Amino acid sequence: MLKGKLVRLAAVDAKELADVIVKWNRDSEYQRLAMIEPANQYSVKKLAEWGEKDQEKDPPEFYYFAIRDLENDRLLGSCGLGGDIFPNGEAFVGIGIGNRQDWNKGYGTDAMKVLLRYAFEELNVRRVALSALENNARGIRSYEKAGFLYEGKSRGTIQRAGRRWDDVFMGILRDEWLAKEHEISSH
Amino acid sequence: MDMDIFLGKLVRLTAEEPKVLAEACTRWNRDSEYLRLLDATPTNQMSAKKITEWIEKDQEKDPPPFYLFGIRTLVGDRLVGFTDLEGVMFPSGDAFVGIGVGEREFWGKGYGTDAMLVVLRFAFQELNLRRVSLNTFEYNPRAIRSYEKAGFVHEGRARGFLHREGQRWDLIYMGILREEWLVRDTG
Repeated sequence: MLKGKLVRLAAVDAKELADVIVKWNRDSEYQRLAMIEPANQYSVKKLAEWGEKDQEKDPPEFYYFAIRDLENDRLLGSCGLGGDIFPNGEAFVGIGIGNRQDWNKGYGTDAMKVLLRYAFEELNVRRVALSALENNARGIRSYEKAGFLYEGKSRGTIQRAGRRWDDVFMGILRDEWLAKEHEISSH
Repeated sequence: MDMDIFLGKLVRLTAEEPKVLAEACTRWNRDSEYLRLLDATPTNQMSAKKITEWIEKDQEKDPPPFYLFGIRTLVGDRLVGFTDLEGVMFPSGDAFVGIGVGEREFWGKGYGTDAMLVVLRFAFQELNLRRVSLNTFEYNPRAIRSYEKAGFVHEGRARGFLHREGQRWDLIYMGILREEWLVRDTG
């Protein structure tokens, strides 16, 4: 269930992930695509603490996975589900592929499809939501491919590089996901 | 500059002693309809002690993680509700507003709208924000009408976000930009 065509979702090793996130974060573009918070530089120690804290609780507040390449088990990024999973069956997705050379190769879309299957088949959620900044056209295209529909936007949420940018809201319902899965399996 | 920015036409925004506000909240929270109109988290009963702790914890910090006010009637100085502003105020100038009128006899009489106009003035004139956002539920037309009156614009909806009473309900996104508020305020 956690295996896709290009990647698999694996357990997060907080220290291992922190070691690579520090490298990804050196690229401010990665941070600006992934977050609305100001791009900043955090130590491995701090990042590992955050990672460990999230996973301490049972059930965790956040279902968090490492994204690993099927071919050579390389750590490509991370993704997770949070939000009002109980009792409303609504999950919020976060996803990031860290290295520029791994962008635009279908890893993120493949990881998202696996994560959606986990959300709908294992956590039994009724919808999955996400938000993406309007400057992240690659991300938005990937989410559309995975089946997310546009639901609205927060106009001019952030101010960066001298102008304001919208935060785009997207979502996919259980029925829409099932229809898409059925379509794939019947071809 | 010669004006009281916390003063509306029907209400004023006030500092409340944590214990006073917490006791009012436990009284309002007995009304499950109030809680379901206010919040997506499951309707629950919290002690005044717990609510006092939450308020004290946040208000100890300077600046506080959110700006919290009591809503008091100009006539009779009665504590009828609360409002708060939180979110990514720095550096992007976006805030998220929450508002609740707990006393049923003050519903549908303009108290909430008046308090919202005051908190918007505080957000734009004192905190110098660029936009203010809020969410509400499709089953709360009274609130939606009030927010429209205060100048909020519809920005989208998370389809079927909530599951209550055996049915799924949309979450409505609304927002108001500084420019929109300025036009309204100056006529």
